[in-house]
Amino acid sequence: MKVMVCLKQVPHQDARLDVAADGSWIQEDNIKFEINSYDTYALEEALRAKDAGEAEVVVVSIGPDRVTQALRTALGMGADRAVHVKDPEADASDSLGKAKILAAIAKQEEPDVIYCGLMADDGNFSAIPPMLAELAGMPSATGVISSEASDTSITVRRELEGGCREVVELPRPCLLAIQTGANQVRYASLKGIMQAKKKPVDVKTAADLGVGEQVGAGAAKVKINKIYIPPKSDQAELLEGSTDEIVTQLVGKIRELGVL
Amino acid sequence: MGNILIVAEITNTGAIREASYELVSIARKLADASGRDIKSVVIGSGVGDLAAEFASKGGGDTLMADDAALSDYNVDGFSRAISAAREAADADLVLISNTPAGWDVAPRVAAGLDAAYISDCFNIELEDGNLVFYRRVFNGKLDAQLSAEGVVVVTVQPGATEAYEGSSDGGTSALAVGLDGLRTKFVAVEQAEATGVDLSKADVIVAGGRGLGSPEKFEEVMKPLAEVLGGAMGASRPVVDAGWLEHAYQVGSSGQVVSPKLYIAAGISGAIQHLVGMKASNFIVAINKDPDAPIFEVADVGVVGDLFEILPPLTAALTEAKG
Ligand SMILES: Cc1cc2nc3c(=O)[nH]c(=O)nc-3n(C[C@H](O)[C@H](O)[C@H](O)COP(=O)(O)OP(=O)(O)OC[C@H]3O[C@@H](n4cnc5c(N)ncnc54)[C@H](O)[C@@H]3O)c2cc1C
Repeated sequence: MKVMVCLKQVPHQDARLDVAADGSWIQEDNIKFEINSYDTYALEEALRAKDAGEAEVVVVSIGPDRVTQALRTALGMGADRAVHVKDPEADASDSLGKAKILAAIAKQEEPDVIYCGLMADDGNFSAIPPMLAELAGMPSATGVISSEASDTSITVRRELEGGCREVVELPRPCLLAIQTGANQVRYASLKGIMQAKKKPVDVKTAADLGVGEQVGAGAAKVKINKIYIPPKSDQAELLEGSTDEIVTQLVGKIRELGVL
Repeated sequence: MGNILIVAEITNTGAIREASYELVSIARKLADASGRDIKSVVIGSGVGDLAAEFASKGGGDTLMADDAALSDYNVDGFSRAISAAREAADADLVLISNTPAGWDVAPRVAAGLDAAYISDCFNIELEDGNLVFYRRVFNGKLDAQLSAEGVVVVTVQPGATEAYEGSSDGGTSALAVGLDGLRTKFVAVEQAEATGVDLSKADVIVAGGRGLGSPEKFEEVMKPLAEVLGGAMGASRPVVDAGWLEHAYQVGSSGQVVSPKLYIAAGISGAIQHLVGMKASNFIVAINKDPDAPIFEVADVGVVGDLFEILPPLTAALTEAKG
């Protein structure tokens, strides 16, 4: 069995976010990056499938040089090999363009299951997993918080609102978009990190994958015109002063509420 | 230019979801400004009455994808129904609510049409004759304005607009959808488990987020504050995901919805999924070191600063004030 995991490297959750000069994305120089939090749970889900059987785990990421770090981390955690789509045109694609690139990889790899994160912490689009499934001709389920495999199918729980869950059965091959908290994500062991150095990372462009014409800024149907700090509408009354002064004011407010 | 297709959603108690009428508000605004017509689709089994209701309350001419195979949500069946409806309605703008069903099906529909997809918009405007889409990025820390080419499938954030309350004189008609060979199989919906923790009854909730950094710190800083206020502890999702607290303490769209007299949010940025769970609280205090954190938009009182410097002295002062 083979499983594929799609990983995105995103700005670290505590990184300072400044809008770039052209206004269309954030300033990416000199900030820390990490694997998208949702994707770490997807990777863990794939590694558990490997632990339970004989699955080969292939991790795939689209992005510039820095993405090597994310792929090495995933290999260190136990993935077997990596495909790195390193191509500025791929980076400039919209969700659909990126889904086409990933679908081309899925066509070559023919995985039994594709694991993705439900969304990415940067763009928050939640777009690529179902798009990829559609293009790869697979059924899909999003917001997955647990899964149970049988010989030919997988039964998953999808998180709904307010603690409800939907139980869905999908035949394999299929794509699962994993929600955070689905599992406890492992750390890369020292031994794993050493072994990762010898694991193959295949570097490709969109053209190598036969989808060069269909991706890139020119083919994008969605364009981000600008990003900006949300206008402040109904801001809180901000308390100022020394810590003592702030605490005194807070005690006063809480007393007024009659909850003391 | 095409029309606007609204995909109405049916709740599990068998009513049209409020968010569907919010889509109507957006569609009305855009239709009036751009000369598009509004059409709708209702998907399910035995949906005649609901479709008639939607057609008369703003949905306009409403298609019915009515089939036993659609009685429960099924991504394959629903995506076929939406694609068929889009074609029948000659729509270049498809509006779907960003709900667990909406975000599951909408990108598939877009990819199947080789069309643009924009998720979780809080607003759509017509500017210089073009549709522009507004949505949050970076979990609410920044906003983005986007545009799209050709047919565009959009999901809209529930609660972002008022629900439409007017009427319309649309009729209903059946929509044929090929439903052979659906791969995904709906099994069941499991209701939330009842636990000992009922945050909805607490007068005071002291909630902590990822900013607490570790379960030890959470326990050390949040618990004494909750105790002195006689309140309950609450948490944002990452705290629960990391296993610092049980799911029963999670506040938000996938946790509990609360409205205590006092809600203290410390080290919580204020992502929309958290805000929907607590913004109805009577009085909200937010402590966050980031002055741009969206939590300050819903808070009554805010402190821009390090929670580890503010909360322990606050707990001490409250203990003293109680005497
Ligand atoms: C389908 C879905 C459902 C979801 N459901 C929920 C839900 O029910 N509930 C929920 O909460 N989330 C939910 N989320 C997740 C949500 O999108 C956010 O990721 C989450 O709310 C962020 O939690 P946080 O604010 O604790 O973390 P972050 O966004 O990382 O914020 C941490 C904050 O702490 C501040 N901070 C750090 N250190 C300090 C310090 N020393 N002093 C003061 N401030 C500090 C930082 O400035 C930052 O603002 C859901 C997401 C999805 C996609």
